Amino acid sequence: MSAGQPPTGAADFAGDDSKAGSPAPADQARAADALREAFTRLSPQGSDAWNFLAAFTHLGDRYGPYHPGASALSDSVAPGRTDARRPGPLDRLRPRRDRGGATAGEKTDLEEAMGHVVEAFRFLSARVETLEARLAVQDRPVDGVAWLVPARPLGSIAGPVAGHVLARSPGGVIVHADCGEGDLLRVLHERGAEAHGVEPRGAVALHAIESGCSVTIAEASEHLASSPEGSSGGMVLSGVVDRLPLHALLPLLTRSRRALRRGAPLVVLTEPVATVDARAATAQDLVDGRPLHQATWELLLQRAGFVEVAPLPEGTGDDRRIALSAVVPS
Amino acid sequence: MSGIHHFVPVLHRGDAVGRHTMRLRDATRARGYHSEIFVDTVDPDTAADTVPVLSYAGEAQAGDVAVYQFATASAMAPWLAGRAETLVVNYHNVTPPELMAPWDNHLALGQLRAQGDLRLLAPRTALAVADSAYNEAHLAAAGFAATAVISPSAALDATVAGHAGRPAHAPPHRGTHWLAVGRVSPNKALESTIAALAVARAHGDGEAWLEVIGKPATDSYVTALHRYVAELGLADVVQFAGHAEDATVEAAYATADVLVVTSEHEGFCVPVVEAMAAGVPVVAFDAGAVPEVLGGAGVLVSGKDAYALAAAITALLRDAPRRDRAVAAGRERLSALRLETAADRFVDLLVPLAGVAATSP
Repeated sequence: MSAGQPPTGAADFAGDDSKAGSPAPADQARAADALREAFTRLSPQGSDAWNFLAAFTHLGDRYGPYHPGASALSDSVAPGRTDARRPGPLDRLRPRRDRGGATAGEKTDLEEAMGHVVEAFRFLSARVETLEARLAVQDRPVDGVAWLVPARPLGSIAGPVAGHVLARSPGGVIVHADCGEGDLLRVLHERGAEAHGVEPRGAVALHAIESGCSVTIAEASEHLASSPEGSSGGMVLSGVVDRLPLHALLPLLTRSRRALRRGAPLVVLTEPVATVDARAATAQDLVDGRPLHQATWELLLQRAGFVEVAPLPEGTGDDRRIALSAVVPS
Repeated sequence: MSGIHHFVPVLHRGDAVGRHTMRLRDATRARGYHSEIFVDTVDPDTAADTVPVLSYAGEAQAGDVAVYQFATASAMAPWLAGRAETLVVNYHNVTPPELMAPWDNHLALGQLRAQGDLRLLAPRTALAVADSAYNEAHLAAAGFAATAVISPSAALDATVAGHAGRPAHAPPHRGTHWLAVGRVSPNKALESTIAALAVARAHGDGEAWLEVIGKPATDSYVTALHRYVAELGLADVVQFAGHAEDATVEAAYATADVLVVTSEHEGFCVPVVEAMAAGVPVVAFDAGAVPEVLGGAGVLVSGKDAYALAAAITALLRDAPRRDRAVAAGRERLSALRLETAADRFVDLLVPLAGVAATSP
């Protein structure tokens, strides 16, 4: 593997025979489902740009089959040139000449007006597409950046964090993003909680799923945007908070608050400012700005609507990461 | 003198339908029939081989047979349906709109129109020829009464010499070379191939890499595939070559260890026969016309499970005798398809429909 190449699942499994073996069939099935869902969410279904495009294509069909002007033949089978074609399924969609009083080959007033509507849709479609493209760039990290700024395992913090969240959770699933290989999820599960991870690095997520964890392969911000309101009983954010640009952090926290139940706890684990020079060169390139100071995180959490923002009472032991706890107002 | 003429919306030299149409035209002429290719849109590269369709009205003769190459929506369909010539439809399949709609409503509506065109042509058509039994079932469902099946005549026009003609250049990676060939379109479900690659690299074949050759159908799908590849950490081991010339395709088959086909919908799947000719084993999902074209050669995987697909590929490539048997079975199957006589067999079906006997060639 070259220095600049991202790690792969194979590398993750290397040297560990227990991991290299085949996962249990049930875990394989869940992992296969997770892979399918990870791709399905990338389809632009619901994009306004596509809907605009479809709308004016439909109008084009209705008021002039195929692509009027695209070829001489297209124009020859246009409405009014009925000598060139037999009646077909599309005919019922076209205006009747005998109603409008127009002669064959001439446009009715309605057709004339609809032509302008089609053009308006075309312009709107182009504009919306541009705006969607801009928003898409601003709202999510560069593709693959998670591989270059990977989340550190929680290690010894996992126990205190799990204890903190479970002690304050009003009930419901506990979400961890970026969950990595699922160390916190397993601790939560061992303590009887329902835990779900979100991890954008697919091969790492597969490892977690194959070991029995419930994980969605996704960016946390996108996953939370589609999560039902008040669906989570607690949340831990690590990794993702160290690689999102500053302007995307507040929306991430806001979406987290929306997905949490009233009174549910949030824990943010983030690298301290002092570690900036210790980051990999790629991480320094890709992370938008320096790591944030604790006071900045406290401000962001308050702005996102959390209360009781404070350092994690259980502490982090020898781990130097900043650990902040907060709560959704009851 | 009446003739047997071929109609296609546009004639591209590089695509399978274009090659097939030219081969049919040549085979028709070889039987002594007047035969031209009429197009709606003239491709400058094939202009010498085509005639603008609107000029046909002035040349039409009583007893003409019009053979329409049907693969997309086109103004040619209603135009031909409104004419009096004996009509033959050569159906190359239309992707179901529902597979395209999540990615590109515009293309999906085009497919919807194509389905409408097919139903429009059904009552007017004397004979509809499909390139697979799978496609023939579509024709029956659309209302065509007389149907036949003949494999596409130009399925092997591209040179795919295979391992026997291994080119000088080395592939960019050392590991197992997975190959996917065909239009990069949602119905091809290339995400399943990519997911299986991630699984294979995690469980047993850490050096596997994938080469994808084919023209993108829609930007949104290609963008999603690239993002998926990045998220799975495969950016360095999945190569999208885009549309490629024959020499590039040939080189890819020559170094490929396996052709992977994960299409949800295929009317024939030309890459399967290309792989058979090149001596490359095929592992595919059991969907569309692929099982029919494979005819027992290669490995079929049920369901859409990335783990099952990865396991099937890895197991085949680790078992050299089994792999060799799959390659040999592919060659036998290719021979059984009789592609070299497909154009002549197609013309055999047209001759009884022609109004005037042929002149001597």
